[in-house]
Amino acid sequence: MACLDSYPGMTDAFDSLGLEPCFDLDLAHAEERHRTLSGVLHPDRYVKSSASERRLALGRAIEVNQAWRTLRDPILRAECLLIRAGVPVGEGREPKPSPELLMAMMEAREELSDANKLRDFLAIERFAASMKLRERELVGSISRAFAVTPRDAVALTAVLPELGALRYVRRFLADADAMLEDRES
Amino acid sequence: MSLLEIFDPAAAPRPIGIDLGTTNSIVARMRDGRPVAMTNCDLEALVPSAVFYDERGQVIVGTAALRMAAAHPSDTIVSVKRFVGRGAHDQETRRLGTYRFAEPANEDEARSVRFVVGNGRTVTPVEVSAAILASLRQLAEDELGSVGGAVITVPAYFDDAQRQATRDAGRLAGLDVLRLLNEPTAAALAYGLEHRKTGLFAVYDLGGGTFDVTVLRLDDGVFQVKSTGGDSALGGDDMDRALAERLLAAMDVLEVDRSSTGGREVVRLALDAARQAKHALTERESVVLTLPKRGGGEANVTVTRAEFDALIAPLVARTGVACRRALRDAGVAREQLDGVILVGGSTRVPYVRRFVEELFGKAPLGDIDPDLVVAYGAAIQADILAGGDERREDVLLLDVLPLSLGIETMGGVAEKLLPRNTSIPAGARQVFTTYADNQTGFELTVVQGERELAADCRRLARFTLKGVPPMPAGMARLEVSFRVDADGLLTVTAKEILTGIEQDVTVTPSYGLTDEEVEQMLIDALDHGESDFEKRQLAERRVEAERIVMATVAALAREDAGAFEPGEREQISDAVAGVRAVLNGVNSRMIQARIEILDEATKAWAGRRMDRAIQAAITGKRVDDVGESVAHARGVDAHVAEHRGHKSD
Repeated sequence: MACLDSYPGMTDAFDSLGLEPCFDLDLAHAEERHRTLSGVLHPDRYVKSSASERRLALGRAIEVNQAWRTLRDPILRAECLLIRAGVPVGEGREPKPSPELLMAMMEAREELSDANKLRDFLAIERFAASMKLRERELVGSISRAFAVTPRDAVALTAVLPELGALRYVRRFLADADAMLEDRES
Repeated sequence: MSLLEIFDPAAAPRPIGIDLGTTNSIVARMRDGRPVAMTNCDLEALVPSAVFYDERGQVIVGTAALRMAAAHPSDTIVSVKRFVGRGAHDQETRRLGTYRFAEPANEDEARSVRFVVGNGRTVTPVEVSAAILASLRQLAEDELGSVGGAVITVPAYFDDAQRQATRDAGRLAGLDVLRLLNEPTAAALAYGLEHRKTGLFAVYDLGGGTFDVTVLRLDDGVFQVKSTGGDSALGGDDMDRALAERLLAAMDVLEVDRSSTGGREVVRLALDAARQAKHALTERESVVLTLPKRGGGEANVTVTRAEFDALIAPLVARTGVACRRALRDAGVAREQLDGVILVGGSTRVPYVRRFVEELFGKAPLGDIDPDLVVAYGAAIQADILAGGDERREDVLLLDVLPLSLGIETMGGVAEKLLPRNTSIPAGARQVFTTYADNQTGFELTVVQGERELAADCRRLARFTLKGVPPMPAGMARLEVSFRVDADGLLTVTAKEILTGIEQDVTVTPSYGLTDEEVEQMLIDALDHGESDFEKRQLAERRVEAERIVMATVAALAREDAGAFEPGEREQISDAVAGVRAVLNGVNSRMIQARIEILDEATKAWAGRRMDRAIQAAITGKRVDDVGESVAHARGVDAHVAEHRGHKSD
């Protein structure tokens, strides 16, 4: 058995929620839409229906949940927009990350793991805070790129390195969170 | 209760809600738009979750069973919930207790705990739970005449195996389980509707055997769970055990011989004394217990509240870890909470109340009965699902997956497919290929939990895929779909993409019982085995057929002629007539076949109706007003087709 591909999205998330595709999404509006559609499609509404109708509703309720999960996350949202514009996404399909980024992330991770070994949770919190700042910068710059050329596949490939960097930052933050969680147990 | 309800022999089946608790269970129903708990002849609503199996194979449930516990500590199963969905070698079997466990003879038997009870009979937790549920069903039938569907509550933190086992128990008890509802969500539903609340709430649910914390938003009838956390083996029972250890020491019992009847009786005595002391310490500062001593004589043991608090402090501290994580996962600071709802009998312990208040920085809401609120929520949800109360159509419960679901990869790493706190229903797909020429099948292991290594998570089941068309290695494209439904239960399906062949997926659960085993238990439980089972199946099919016919006819009547393709309406009407023709027959397979024909005939129309409902919801119009203008609206299927086409080029 070998895993080839994993794609969480089944249907385009913007289409599923009936929203205009854009990166600077009004999240409150999107959440509201998710709730409205859940109200129509949730399995609780189809308890008395026939098996095929229940299956159909279940499938669509899953899509709507998945769509909201995709759209509220900047990385998945960007991926969704890139796919729409015809830009291949996903690690492996995108250009390799720059050596500078890899070096910088490696150093940051070493610092993080040293702090964890010393159980210096204040330092971990500090690293996480500065990485969060970096996250915000990257999201901002991705947002600007989408604002300028929302559908131009060639121009949008310029977003890919930043998206790659954002993935690294996200993984760093997830690990830092896990370390901080360990503090309690 | 009105006279009509008592004397109407053809009373319509009424939905019920069941709180299947570790210590007590409750069945509730709606009366005049409000939930009420049903009581037995002694006017007690709380049925102790205790089951006694006597020498002659008789089964006694509730208070009467509890009375047998002291004299028959291993034949009386209390707190069975702690064993539900757990394997024979689970840690829970090694904790301080009074049961005899059967040593599994093979791998199949090891999938479930087996208690050895009266006369050497062995029973699984599913059967014990089913006995409790059957007695609650009886209680409801005595009052309602006929019971319709049931909503059964489960701890939010129950994993797939524990949920599956609860559902099996419901089936075994002869209940039509409409939904498994998470206990904190049920409590929020009852509380929120009663008080018309809006805002962010935390539900802290510490019961007899399980702990849950849920952060949710209540808004205009919509209950949206943001995150949930907990421990399905942490509760009042563990407080009892902690204190019982101390009492045993005071009784000079330093080592308990659980293999002897005497040893088990001593443990039962200590656990019961500990529980009584715990209850007394809710009101008092100290309690004096008179206990027998080993080798004769008695010991007077004083337990102060401070001592008790110190004993339970480490247990309660564990709830704090889960609460902080739930807040973090929800992205909510404790200051943002509008209230903390306490649920479960263990929240009566003063130390627990203080702890919660300090943890969340606010006094918990105290105007609800922590024992009944979950059953009330279940009754409300059952009523909504059964369509009893039109006014509650705007109520919606949106829940989450409590523990991440993943698959075990080659290196033994658990690859997460659906992270914890994903809204359910949820789904994920993954594409695999074969590694050998002409390979026709392969296996997947699904795990649940947060740890990185599959071995540290719970292995839920092995899924065996068969019938892959013979192809060179690496050619086949197997798309495996994982779906978690609104009960939090997982199903796995697989398809070979190139040929479109749907794969046969066999599930081998790691815990609990297979479908065949449950079916066999059902047959065994009935007086006339197979023939009764078939009768039941026929009755179930008829109910289903009637329901679908009614729904279809009603929908047809509402629909304009223009909403159908040429000939479609006639085809549907014919299929309805087809079901009606066999409805009163005795052939359940025939009924099933006709249902399937009707299902097929209405499929496309159902899809269009759903598209219209979606469109109406988006534009904020009522469905009737949308009419023709959306006849050409693109359905989700169209998007799927487009998306697929897009991917392949």
